[in-house]
Amino acid sequence: MRPFNVTGAFQPQRAYSPATAGEAAPARNRVRLLAIGVFLVLLLLAGRAVQLAFSGDPLAEPRAPNGASVLPRGDIVDRNGVLLATTVRAYALTATPARVWDAPAIADQLRRVFPDLDRAATIRRLGDTSRRLVYLRRGLTPEQRTRVHELGLAGIGFETEHHRDYPQGTLAAHALGFTDVDQNALSGVERGLDADIRAAGAEGRAVRLSIDVRMQYALEEELSAAARAAGATGGAAILLDGRTGETLALASWPAFNPNEAGAAPSNARRDRVAGDLHELGSTIKPFTVAMALQEQVTRSGELFDLTTPYVIDNSTIIDHERVEGMSTLGDILAHSSNVGAARLAVRLGGARQRSYLDRLGLTAPASLELGRNQAPLAPQARTRRDVAGLGFGYGLAATPAALAGAYTVFTNSGARVTPTLRAAGPDAAVERASVFSPEVTRQVLLYMRQVVTDGTGRAADVPGLLVAGKTGTAEKLDGAAGYDDSRNFSSFAGVFPANDPRYVIVLALDDTGEGAAGGAVAAPAVARTLRRIAPMLGLRVEARSPAR
Amino acid sequence: MGKAQLIRMLQIIAAVVIVVLAVGLYRAKSDASRTQAHVRELQGEIEEREAALRELRAEIAERESPANVEKLAQDRLGVAPGSASATLPESEIARRLPAPERSREPRT
Repeated sequence: MRPFNVTGAFQPQRAYSPATAGEAAPARNRVRLLAIGVFLVLLLLAGRAVQLAFSGDPLAEPRAPNGASVLPRGDIVDRNGVLLATTVRAYALTATPARVWDAPAIADQLRRVFPDLDRAATIRRLGDTSRRLVYLRRGLTPEQRTRVHELGLAGIGFETEHHRDYPQGTLAAHALGFTDVDQNALSGVERGLDADIRAAGAEGRAVRLSIDVRMQYALEEELSAAARAAGATGGAAILLDGRTGETLALASWPAFNPNEAGAAPSNARRDRVAGDLHELGSTIKPFTVAMALQEQVTRSGELFDLTTPYVIDNSTIIDHERVEGMSTLGDILAHSSNVGAARLAVRLGGARQRSYLDRLGLTAPASLELGRNQAPLAPQARTRRDVAGLGFGYGLAATPAALAGAYTVFTNSGARVTPTLRAAGPDAAVERASVFSPEVTRQVLLYMRQVVTDGTGRAADVPGLLVAGKTGTAEKLDGAAGYDDSRNFSSFAGVFPANDPRYVIVLALDDTGEGAAGGAVAAPAVARTLRRIAPMLGLRVEARSPAR
Repeated sequence: MGKAQLIRMLQIIAAVVIVVLAVGLYRAKSDASRTQAHVRELQGEIEEREAALRELRAEIAERESPANVEKLAQDRLGVAPGSASATLPESEIARRLPAPERSREPRT
């Protein structure tokens, strides 16, 4: 301030005095405080600069480690990397009711693009002004979005969302399963491996299954053809690599398209391989023979008289076709003798039989990575009649998947491996649970080969491939009326090649008619399937059957 | 230079530093937000292309599906997988394929 007063007269500056020094002290303190404040602010800024320099961008979008954007669900691929399920971009058709003036007109316009759109419901939603935004339809394709956009409707908009797509259509539909519009898993592998598929989406990787689409297609085609020809109401088939437990193909009939799962009847959506229970019938007989040999209640050279029915606990067990003369263990399987199997089972006893059934995995649900593995109906055998019935496949209801798992004992020298839908690496450790000795397994394999060369399973023979197996024809229960011989569960379970068994196949047709035995309807379908699949497995098949 | 002058000088320097820092911070922030917007734009573009790529992969898988290949084989070659005719020699397959379209000669 200049040293003049308001009148312009000079005013001398006040001389320094201790009093003025006392007044200046608070001012200096304020300056110091200000300086400290400025220093702190600068320190703060410097600290933030250092933090920004050394940390990532906190506002950056989350991305997978490989740079791909995060998806709610990862891709599912087959063992060769063929895409089975993926997540693609889709659109939700939305409306802002407050901006909609003529709801009926807009509904009519939208029905030109979506003819199945419910007009009344759409008008109701468009008029619901209590809500800021309403969804009219989900999962629109880019083309549908463009068509709606071109209508230029006021109050109608879109939201970007994810949509699960199954590019193979009906192929492996039951194995893959499906999700709802919000990507929640509902069935199949989608549900069984839900956590892994979600993690794969976040990490930008794919989930690899053990399925091979080429084999899957061949199995589905042949199962479908066989089921139609036999007039069956359903069908199931599974092909395993019996050494590793990997499922190479898994088919249920009738089929459905998971891209339109909502439109498919529940009967078609049902997985019958791990989800349907059936009394297995004669496909269980090779185990009865193996149990008897293992427990030394019989020997390979023993001869049986199967010409007379077997009476036990006031019940009579008979064979469909009488087996003449003295029969070997091989004949019991080749002719599928209920009498022979029942006798062996009774010799074995209920406790030992149950122990083997447990170890074969037939009294527990299969462990395939699917949404549902149906638990078997396996009550304890209380009477000798129950034990005899179990010997030829009655009194125990299990899934085809469980049966295939049990047949892996014939591909692992008597040890069982657990079926899986996950692709295993070449060096992956495989857990094997020993059930039978290698000698017993080899012996029973010879008998199963006899079934295909000279027995009920001749139609399953594929020249050059050496198929060994067993047919099964179980009469279906008809409520209180008991077993109905006009309704059968017809099946074939086998392994190949018999000289070095590695693969397991089970094919079953449900509700086939009278006379449609497993050897007549399931065994030929297995042969047709194997003719197609064998070259994919590197196995040689002869073009024509050699002259006998 | 007296002590008071020195303090004054330091204060002026501090003020200048603060102003420079403030301007620098403003510029850094505006540059950062510009860069951020650019990064977001690029990320959006990447996501757009990834989505398009996923759709294309799905379409390829659909076209290469065994059912589609079988249909094409039946329609164009007259063979069905699994049948005896599937073992046609390569020359035969080439013969059965539709003739390639002739390229037009350039006009002179």
